Amino acid sequence: MIKKQSTRIAFTEGLMEVAAEKPETVLVCSDSIKVVKAEPFMEKYPERYFDVGIAEQNAVGCAAGLAASGLMPFLATYAGFITMRACEQIRTFVAYPGLNVKFIGANGGMASGEREGVTHQFFEDIGIMRTIPGITVVVPADAGQVKQAVKAVANIEGPAYIRIGSGRDPVLFENDEPFELGKIRVLKDYGDDVAIFTNGFIIHRSLEAAELLLKEGIKVKVVEVHTLKPLDVEGITGVLRKTKAAVTVEDHNIIGGLGSAIAETSAEEIPVPVIRLGLKDVYPESGEPDELLDKYGMSVSDIMNACRVAIGKKGEG
Amino acid sequence: MADILEKLDAGEVSRLEDAARNIRKNLVDTIYKAGDGHPAPALSASDILAVLYFKIMKLDPKNPLWEERDRLILSKGHACPALYSALAMKGYFPETELPTLRKINSKLQGHPDMKKTPGVDSTSGSLGNGISVGLGMALAARVKKLDYFTYVVTGDGELQEGIIWEALMSAAKYKTGNLIVIVDNNGMQSGGHIEEVSGLCPILPKWEAFGWHCQEIDGHDVSQIYSAIKTAQKVTDRPSMILAHTIKGKGVPYMENNNAWHKGVPSEEQWKIAMEVLGGASK
Repeated sequence: MIKKQSTRIAFTEGLMEVAAEKPETVLVCSDSIKVVKAEPFMEKYPERYFDVGIAEQNAVGCAAGLAASGLMPFLATYAGFITMRACEQIRTFVAYPGLNVKFIGANGGMASGEREGVTHQFFEDIGIMRTIPGITVVVPADAGQVKQAVKAVANIEGPAYIRIGSGRDPVLFENDEPFELGKIRVLKDYGDDVAIFTNGFIIHRSLEAAELLLKEGIKVKVVEVHTLKPLDVEGITGVLRKTKAAVTVEDHNIIGGLGSAIAETSAEEIPVPVIRLGLKDVYPESGEPDELLDKYGMSVSDIMNACRVAIGKKGEG
Repeated sequence: MADILEKLDAGEVSRLEDAARNIRKNLVDTIYKAGDGHPAPALSASDILAVLYFKIMKLDPKNPLWEERDRLILSKGHACPALYSALAMKGYFPETELPTLRKINSKLQGHPDMKKTPGVDSTSGSLGNGISVGLGMALAARVKKLDYFTYVVTGDGELQEGIIWEALMSAAKYKTGNLIVIVDNNGMQSGGHIEEVSGLCPILPKWEAFGWHCQEIDGHDVSQIYSAIKTAQKVTDRPSMILAHTIKGKGVPYMENNNAWHKGVPSEEQWKIAMEVLGGASK
């Protein structure tokens, strides 16, 4: 049984540390304080907390005004309501002027939305944010990494987006595992047959697949790409040069997210077969996270099969 | 609350009317020379901007990002030729740069860009967003214990955007007395008269119902504009709105109430007429 820890609570823990150090830290919510478990911030810094109601566009505009006046707003609510409903406000009023607003998107991914269904399962957020110039985009692996990612983006000037989950999120790392913004991390290096690039709260599935493949004699590298922007092109290219085949695994539409980022990098730097696993441009449904991931193409056996296919395609071009 | 109306003396009225006329002259000249722009919606807002920039606002053109300055957001960003003219006249950049409007490598973008143009406090032009951004600036003043005012000039057509009413609710909740919105109510939008395009009207009772302090004035009378802003400044327990009745194209006779000039460039002959009409006292 995989241990669970809330990435939402982890966000607030990170925020509290940032706020203690940086008096310019403010929090903007859209009736989302309970969603992101940020009551401790509200209680400790009532004068730095703003809830504009269920009004995400206004929340983003308001955050832009706060940032334009020298403050550092964190804006935290459901991933889709930030990235879709308020997409234009993010693009034109925050990212275009390069304002220092940090967006925190809950229920990032189908599995994080789980039983809520499609309205609350957000698997387009990364693709949307990646196409907007000037935003740092991070998909941390677990609660400990979320906390560190929050602190990391607070230390850079400019807009950032961090995906968080349901609050029942699998733990991957020890809590003191470091987090380096903008760098890939090789999690397992069994060999050079194929690389699995993955991120988010489903990484353990790729690790399990790699172990099972090793028993078949297939040697896999498992690489975490937590920062989608700026993308570690050099690191990714270095891995691709060795493995000459790749599989991507993400809880996101296969269009626009990690799979696209790896395929784009490969196409420009070192063309190799890339098999993308994720939601195959379809809408999922309500269910338990693991059932959903298994049904929608992100099972351990799907990952193993994709690795075999990618290896089989090596040298075909 | 204001009990005595603050008024301008005759000399100040004349000075501000001159400033407004010069804004108009510069903006029509800018659009003619640049070959693109929205003249009529800029003309309707010229008196409002003249009173704000040449009488009301606490500014330092040599230090455009001065933390304690008053802020202005031109939510109806397409009227920016008027804003650029006012900023140039204040000395934020040379007036000779005005004709570079909308041209490559210019600091004067087609719609306001806070990073490119000194004196522009907020990027704008995507309609409806200015009050939300202004609310953020007003709240920031509270956090930072600064006493600046944030002014937002909106069009009337853009009040059809949903985010406007989101912003009105939250500004009322936070009692942002330091946020003053002036609605340039020229009655027209791109597609026609505002009441034909949507069910927006009447405007004022809606804002009152949202808990704002509201006034209604002639938006081309500098005395009324000044007095209304001074009254609004004294309202500290809620945000303020001034509904300024204006004429689209005001000041250039052939553009007045003629929506063909929502966007357009005068011919040489039309430009000459406008320069003559707006000649007046030059700065």
